[in-house]
Amino acid sequence: MVWFVLGIGICIGSIKLKLGNFHTPGPGFLPFLSGGSLALFGLILTFLTTRTGLGEKEDEKDQRELVHWDWKRLINPLFTLFILVVYILLLEPLGFLLTTFICLLFLFKLSDPQKWLMPFVLSFTATALSYLLFSVWLQCQFPKGLIRFW
Amino acid sequence: MSGFLENMSVGLQVAFTVTNLLYCFIGVFIGTLIGVLPGIGPVGTISILMPLTFGISPTSAIIMLAGIYYGAQYGGSTTSILVNIPGEATSVVTCLDGYQMARQGRAGPALGISAFGSFIAGTIGAIILMFVATPLSSFGLKFGPPEYFSLIILALSILSYLAHGSMVKAIIMAILGICLSQIGIDVVTGRLRFTFGIIDLQDGLGLVPVVVGLFGVGEVLANLEESTNVEILKAKIKGLLPNLRDWKDSIGAIFRGSILGFFLGVLPGGGAIISTFVSYALEKKISKHPEKFGTGVIEGVAGPETANNAASSGAFIPLFTLGLPSNAITALLLGALMIHGVAPGPFFIRKHPDIFWGTIMSMYIGNVMLLILNLPLIGLWVKILKVPYKVLFPLLLLLCIIGSYSINNNKFDVFIMLIFGVIGYLFRKYEYELAPFVISFVLGPILENSLRQSLLISQGDISIFFRKPISMSCLIMALFLLLSPIVLAKSRRLRKKLG
Repeated sequence: MVWFVLGIGICIGSIKLKLGNFHTPGPGFLPFLSGGSLALFGLILTFLTTRTGLGEKEDEKDQRELVHWDWKRLINPLFTLFILVVYILLLEPLGFLLTTFICLLFLFKLSDPQKWLMPFVLSFTATALSYLLFSVWLQCQFPKGLIRFW
Repeated sequence: MSGFLENMSVGLQVAFTVTNLLYCFIGVFIGTLIGVLPGIGPVGTISILMPLTFGISPTSAIIMLAGIYYGAQYGGSTTSILVNIPGEATSVVTCLDGYQMARQGRAGPALGISAFGSFIAGTIGAIILMFVATPLSSFGLKFGPPEYFSLIILALSILSYLAHGSMVKAIIMAILGICLSQIGIDVVTGRLRFTFGIIDLQDGLGLVPVVVGLFGVGEVLANLEESTNVEILKAKIKGLLPNLRDWKDSIGAIFRGSILGFFLGVLPGGGAIISTFVSYALEKKISKHPEKFGTGVIEGVAGPETANNAASSGAFIPLFTLGLPSNAITALLLGALMIHGVAPGPFFIRKHPDIFWGTIMSMYIGNVMLLILNLPLIGLWVKILKVPYKVLFPLLLLLCIIGSYSINNNKFDVFIMLIFGVIGYLFRKYEYELAPFVISFVLGPILENSLRQSLLISQGDISIFFRKPISMSCLIMALFLLLSPIVLAKSRRLRKKLG
C-alpha cells in the first residue's frame, strides 16, 4: 500500500507541475506516468500478497514469507545509525578529526564492549590514516572545527 | 586491419603509462580485497571510491573502477572455496564443488583453476570485446530518441524479468528509480520538481550518496543484524598449480564458460550471476559423471568461475556501444564517465579511443596482475578473511561518509546517504532488488529526454514508437517479458484444472 500512496502523491505533485500534452510534454509529464505506474504496481503487489499466482513465477510462492523483526538483533544496526546521525550533527562544529575519532571509538566498542584500549587504538589509527590519505594526499576538504591547526 | 592495430597500439600506450598501471593495480587489488571480504561488494566499493576519481583523468578513473569490477570476480571465489560463503553473488555456485574440494584437501587446485580460468576468461572476454564493440557501435548510430526510449524500457523489463525474487517488486524498484531521478530542475522548462523548498535538492539527488547509502550503509546495517561466524579451513593450502589431469578435466569447461559468460553478460540484469548457474548446469549436463557434481569436481569450479569473469567483460558492450548499463556496476561506471564529461554511446569509441582502447588493454594487464595477486598471495587473502566484521564495518562506514561528503563538501549529501542507507536496509529486509533501482535512477534523465524528443519530433504522435522497426521490436519484447509470467501462471492453472 506504501507504493500506491507514494505513486498517487507523485501524480498529484506532477499535476501541480503541469503535465503539458503529447505535443509539448510539460515538467510533470514523465513524473505523472511513473507515479501512475508506481501506484498501479503497488496495487498489484498488494493484490499478490493476499492472493498467490498472478505475475509470480511458480517457485516464488514458497519464498514469500513475512519479514521477521527480532528487536534484540536490531540493537547493533540502531546503535550504528544513532552514531551516524551524531556524526552528521557534530561534523561541522567539532571538525573531521575529532568527530571521526569519537564516532569510530564507539563503533569499534561494538567489537570489544569490555575494553577501551583496543577500540581507542583502532579509532586513533583509522582517523590518522584517513586524514593522511584523504586530506593530505587526495586534498579532500573537510571541516576543521575545534582543531584549527591542521 | 591497420586501423585496428593502430587502435590497439593507442590502447597499449595509454594502458602502459606509469599512472594507469598504478591505477589498474589499485583497482584489481581493491577488487580482490572486496571480493574476498563478505559484506561489501563491488557496487558499494565503486560508489564509495568514485568521488576520489574525480581529480584524475577519466581514463585512469575507468581503468581503476573496471579493475575493481573484474577483480572482485577473482576474489569472490576464495571465500566460496575456503569458507563456503560466497564473497560475491557470482560465486555462489563455486561453493558447491569448490568447498567440497577444499574439504578433501584440494583447496589449492580449486583456487588455482579458478584463478587460471578467470585469467583465460578475462583475456578471451577482452578479445571479444575488442572485436565486437566497434561494429556494434556503428549499429548504435541507427538509434534515435524513439529507439533509445524503447531500448531503455526493454532493458528495464529484462532486468525485472531476470530478478531473483518477485518480478513485481523489481518493476516497482525500476519505476521508483525513474521517479527519484526526476527530482531537481527540469532541464527543458527550468521548473523545480519535488524539491520541497530544499536548495540542496535543486541539482537532484546525487548518484554517489544514493548508491553509497543503498549499497554501502544499507549492507553494513543488514550485516550487523546477522551474526555469522566465519570458519576457515585450517588445513594448509598447497599445490596451487593444477596438475595435468585437472587441466584435462577443466579446459573444456573454461572455454565454454568464457563464451557463454561473455554473451550472457551483455544481458541487462544479473547476466554474470545467471551465466554461473547456466555454466554449471551445462557442465553437469554434458559430463560423463553428472552424479559426482556437488561432491568436489573441478569442472564445477572451472566453468562458473570463468563464466562470471567473461560476463564482466561482456557487460561493457552495451555501456560502450549504446551508453546503456546492463547492471548496477556499469550504471555506476556510466555515472562516473558522465561526471567526467564523457558520454558513452555510439560515438564513444570514435570520440574517445584513448579511454576505450586504454581500458581494454588495461584489462589484459589487469588479468595478469590478478593472476599474480591471487596465486602467490593467497595466504594474505586468507589472513584478511580472518578480520572480524565488527572491526571492518566502522572503516567501511568511514569510507562511505568520506565518499559522500567529498563530492560537494556538503553535509547534506551525507544526510542523503544515511536516509538511503536505511532505505537500502529495508529493501534488503523486504527482498526488493537494488539493481533495477540504480539502473533506472541513472537512466531516468536519458529516458525522459528520449520520450520528450520523440514526442516533439512526431508532433505528439505516440505511434512513432511503433513505426520505427528497432523501437517496435524492443517494445514488443518488453511487453512479452512483462506479460509472460501472467500467461504462464494462467496456463498452469488451466492445466491443473484439466487434470
